[in-house]
Amino acid sequence: MDKNEMRQKHILIVGSGIAGLSCAIECAERGMEVTLVSPFPSERAQSVLAAGGINAVLDSHEEGDSIESHIEDTLKGGCNIAGKESVRGLCAGAPERIKWLEKIGTVFTTDDNGTIMRRAFGGQSHKRTCYCGASTGKQIVTSLVMEARRYEGLGLIKRRFWMDFYEALIMDGVCYGAVFYNEATADLEMIAADSVVIATGGQNALFGKTTGSTLCDGYAAGRLFMQGVELKNLEFIQYHPTTLETAQKRMLISEAVRGEGGRLYYEEDGKRIYFMEEKFGERGNLMPRDIVSKTMESTGKDIFLDITFLGKKEILKRIPEVYELCLKYSGIDISKQSIPVSPSVHFFMGGIAVKNNHETNMKNLYAIGECASIYHGANRLGGNSLLAAVYGAKVAACSIEKSALTDETMYQEVEAIFQKDIDAGRAKLNEGRQSQSVFPAVYIRDMLAENMRKDLGIVRDEEKLKKGLDDVTYYLSVADKIKYDKSEMPFLSFSLTGILNLAKATLLSAMFRKESRGAHVRSDYPDTNDLYAYPSIVCFENGEFIVRLDKEGEYER
Amino acid sequence: MNVKILRQASPFSKPYWQEFTYERNDNQTVAGMLDELNYKDDLKDKDGNPAPRIQWECSCLQGMCGGCAMVINHRPALACETFLRDIKGNTVILEPLKKFPTIADLVVDRGIIQENLKKADTYIEEYKGGNYEEYEHMYSAARCLKCGLCLEVCPNYKDGANFYGAAFANDCYLISARSAIRKEENKKAYDAHFAEGCSKSLSCVDVCPMQIPTLASIAKMNRKS
Repeated sequence: MDKNEMRQKHILIVGSGIAGLSCAIECAERGMEVTLVSPFPSERAQSVLAAGGINAVLDSHEEGDSIESHIEDTLKGGCNIAGKESVRGLCAGAPERIKWLEKIGTVFTTDDNGTIMRRAFGGQSHKRTCYCGASTGKQIVTSLVMEARRYEGLGLIKRRFWMDFYEALIMDGVCYGAVFYNEATADLEMIAADSVVIATGGQNALFGKTTGSTLCDGYAAGRLFMQGVELKNLEFIQYHPTTLETAQKRMLISEAVRGEGGRLYYEEDGKRIYFMEEKFGERGNLMPRDIVSKTMESTGKDIFLDITFLGKKEILKRIPEVYELCLKYSGIDISKQSIPVSPSVHFFMGGIAVKNNHETNMKNLYAIGECASIYHGANRLGGNSLLAAVYGAKVAACSIEKSALTDETMYQEVEAIFQKDIDAGRAKLNEGRQSQSVFPAVYIRDMLAENMRKDLGIVRDEEKLKKGLDDVTYYLSVADKIKYDKSEMPFLSFSLTGILNLAKATLLSAMFRKESRGAHVRSDYPDTNDLYAYPSIVCFENGEFIVRLDKEGEYER
Repeated sequence: MNVKILRQASPFSKPYWQEFTYERNDNQTVAGMLDELNYKDDLKDKDGNPAPRIQWECSCLQGMCGGCAMVINHRPALACETFLRDIKGNTVILEPLKKFPTIADLVVDRGIIQENLKKADTYIEEYKGGNYEEYEHMYSAARCLKCGLCLEVCPNYKDGANFYGAAFANDCYLISARSAIRKEENKKAYDAHFAEGCSKSLSCVDVCPMQIPTLASIAKMNRKS
């Protein structure tokens, strides 16, 4: 037997939300050894906020629905730039994923016979969104944590907490592991692995407080980008149409409210104008999110969402979380009053570019969940993100299972080879500890977010984008020179350059796409242009940012 | 208003009290207040002395992740859903949860919750469907944030060495309702690490941010003996 075959394959997964947990379980099920790393337990992951549901055409589907129809809706919703083959896999694989989630104990909402209920969701020709009340993500996380625990007991999954991603170990286009900042030891720690899976979620920090978690900041994608990993479709940022402003953040009002019949309107001369229905007909309130947000913005009016007609009893039964949230944070009783809503940043269609097997342009480095860009094209349909998280996790695990073990000699020497990078990182952290400054890194994050909200809003133009680029370029030029308040978590300062580079790459991608498509709306190029009917790819070479279109489908195989 | 915080620089350093002044806004939550204190300006205590930034844990800011559990005016609660309008008087006192080791300021290590669930093998293994009449209860139990508020307030829970508390009892109920083959084993663990130690003060039910009907979980677990 070759000595390589003696060792169990070791997989390092960064991030423990739905994608990371699912991938850990899938790898463990295939006999691989997994280290699952995250700063906090899975209960804190953004996944728990996912409300509405998860799409799948089950055997018990609505009449006339089919997997073909799910594929078509997804591609069309994404404005025809998502890879056909990967989307086919996603939709065809969906029923099996739902059965799997049910089997590991997810409490889906069912009828009296145990058949999973479906609700209508935006941009879909049929009711195919399976759900667990209005806390689908949370219910899935609970069952995944339990299932992962089973493999923890068997010693196949090892969970590590208080660990912040620092950088990947990459040499000559191959990934050998990653480095973390261990908050318990206040030191950098290297973990070698045969494959690394990034599952760190979206890029919220670019915009400050979004509907999501403050823990999803995009740093991992930004840092990997600086290490040569290509990013894709960054300009496509989903503004969710219905969010509620509160004193501490913008809160998501689930699409489930419109799925249950909720109507959008504004008031004019004391009369309600149901503008979505007037413009798009009966199903107007359930148009894809990009279209609803754009249309709301174009009215220039205060918009309201009405669900009162459902009655308190049905509201409490079907969308209790929405009822509780509005009452608690805004004092609004949605069974009696309409909800004041406006669009806000919610989801990033763009992210780490991955091929159909979820591998990046670096060998043995994978990305899954929201941080990866693959299925959603220029706009994501509600209910497809949870699906992408659990489906992509399985695809990655299957691909990793087939990949070869890292050469044993190399595996043993990883630490020695990358030692000088670690030393450099440590020196920098030490320097930070000596700082006498009272300037917090958070100020730069806040300024960045303010710029991005202004310059990369729902409607963009060259002038705004250029201004945004100037500002970000300036922050980048000073971020490394400033000394920061050492009483902040070190992560906040060492993550700045990665986040700023990601912001710059995003602005450049938005400038490059001189057309309007899906969530990317430009007032100076209002039409869709076939010349741009491809994903955009951005890479970082010797300090230069290079944007191109993937016309050859490099990432669609 | 006056904000009094029990601070601690690191797991091994000595805790101390520090006071701040904050312009009261009744619609703000304790979490929002901490954010404003930390980052509106350079942080100074109420006497004008420079103070280190206040460490606290947060993720969702809407009562759905359990990150910001702390003791607010002597009552364990989530900072992001405790509004200043509900604070009586003009002082808010913040302390870290005391039944867990402090990492820094208001950040504690609640790893013991996961550790104990792991030790007791709290998982389904083989799923059993049905029980649809119990749907609401299962759904509710599965909403547990593992935030630790129920353990903080519990008169029986100390450090989790033997008695695991309400968070554990609710997970046990989920296993018993959904597992085809682990019921017996699960019941044994429940008896050893919950039933024998619970004095039914039910203070856990009062503080639960998800309003999980722990009493119903206990009743069903006891019946299933």
